[in-house]
Amino acid sequence: MLDLNTPYAISGSDIAFEVFDRDVIVLDMGNGKYYSFSDGGSAVWMALVDGVAPRDIVAFFSHGETLPSFVESLCDLGLIEARLDLPPVAPGPDLVAKLSDAKEAPDLTVFDDMADLFVADPIHDVEEPQGWPVVKQAQ
Amino acid sequence: MACRETGTVTTTNPAALHTEPITPATIAAYGRYLLDLAEATPDHLLTTIDIALPNLDLRVFMPEGQLADAVRTACIQPRLRFPGSARMIKITVLHPGVGGAPDPLEWGKERYTAHEISNLLSQAGLQGSLFHDLRFWQFYDLAAGRGVQLMAGAEMFPPWEPGAPLRAFLHWEYAAQGRRMTHAGSLGRDGRGVLLAGAGGAGKSGTVLAGLLGGLSSVGDDYVLVDLLDGRPSAFPIFTTLKQDDRGVRRLELDRRLGPRSLNWQDKIQFRTSDIEADISLDGLSIGAILLPRIGAEATVFTVASRAEAMLALAPSAVYQMPGERESGFRFFSRLVSMLPAYRLDLGPDPEEIAGALSSFINGLPS
Repeated sequence: MLDLNTPYAISGSDIAFEVFDRDVIVLDMGNGKYYSFSDGGSAVWMALVDGVAPRDIVAFFSHGETLPSFVESLCDLGLIEARLDLPPVAPGPDLVAKLSDAKEAPDLTVFDDMADLFVADPIHDVEEPQGWPVVKQAQ
Repeated sequence: MACRETGTVTTTNPAALHTEPITPATIAAYGRYLLDLAEATPDHLLTTIDIALPNLDLRVFMPEGQLADAVRTACIQPRLRFPGSARMIKITVLHPGVGGAPDPLEWGKERYTAHEISNLLSQAGLQGSLFHDLRFWQFYDLAAGRGVQLMAGAEMFPPWEPGAPLRAFLHWEYAAQGRRMTHAGSLGRDGRGVLLAGAGGAGKSGTVLAGLLGGLSSVGDDYVLVDLLDGRPSAFPIFTTLKQDDRGVRRLELDRRLGPRSLNWQDKIQFRTSDIEADISLDGLSIGAILLPRIGAEATVFTVASRAEAMLALAPSAVYQMPGERESGFRFFSRLVSMLPAYRLDLGPDPEEIAGALSSFINGLPS
């Protein structure tokens, strides 16, 4: 059960993200997957990584009913984690504007074109006799 | 700890380094051992090839053969000099039968995870890479500017190596300088230009060739050096290699000019910029936009793309294809994308029309 009162933070050093205009792109360096978000998802991501607790996001977010499942999916993907040790932060005016302006419900798209090669062990995961970069398929 | 002299090379724990499969615990020592071996190999056993690259004087010591020919012809020698003096780096290529070069060792049973290996090596001041299928080892000492490539035989190199020889060393060195080898095509005119980003098959190489044949210039169709100095992205040529599949070669009417050629590892025809008298911007191109090509339109059309789209077109292959840690690449390409507008480039079927549309687009870039 998601705790809406707890702040969240990026889950470990393998997660990197950048903001382009209002779009967020996340790279999980542990598995080579890239993630992009709807405008609502980008706004929520920026609020979460700033330390704003979901309960404070809901107050300004027009798609609040979808927030818990979105936060859960971010946790399930290993992108963020609950941080009981951190105090919640109030959203600043910029974040409030982004959350209020979001036209789309929070959603994410996974880009995993290179992920198989990114995480494969080029020695033990290759298909014989072709060799790297033909990755062995799961049986 | 046991020590032994090997010619002028001193190694620690030499028995393990000479015979046992390499593990995460021994890879840095193996790299140092090979670097020492390269240093000790007498010059007269190897050919010396000097290449002048942007901000880099590359001296390669290697046996004569197919790979030496590739280094001579695949690397461009621009007249450009960045501010400040060019850094000299030295790479030695060895295989058994050259001096005292040993047979390259195998990797052991431990998992080989590229970014973890990179982290381990960087703690020892090294970067390194293994192409396991051929026991093709590359190690680079960043501080010393010294590299070694050990192969199991004279022609035991990955099939992509002749097209972009010593690419890993150039990547490590340029990344340390804050520049980046970038998996992208390029086109320009009068010093201004664009980068073409996208996954394989998007149309990068065909677009570059159409532009070159239509009077535009380029700094490369596959790998270019990108610099973000003073917040103004520029791209510079490194390799002279061009490639195109058989159908594209016929469409561009290059088949008679190139003559019969065997296909490379990607089933593409590989050739050099000089084969088509291409105009290469030796002084580089000031980059004004990122284009995301897509084949299949009736006529060539440019439409605004988001920077996030540009990042997703550029970063995955550009970050993946260079060995070593990945985060600095992600950050570099993020900065690059943030500095430039991006456009989807829907490509028409006529190469001349594509070249004309790109020429007009580049002419309209703000100076």
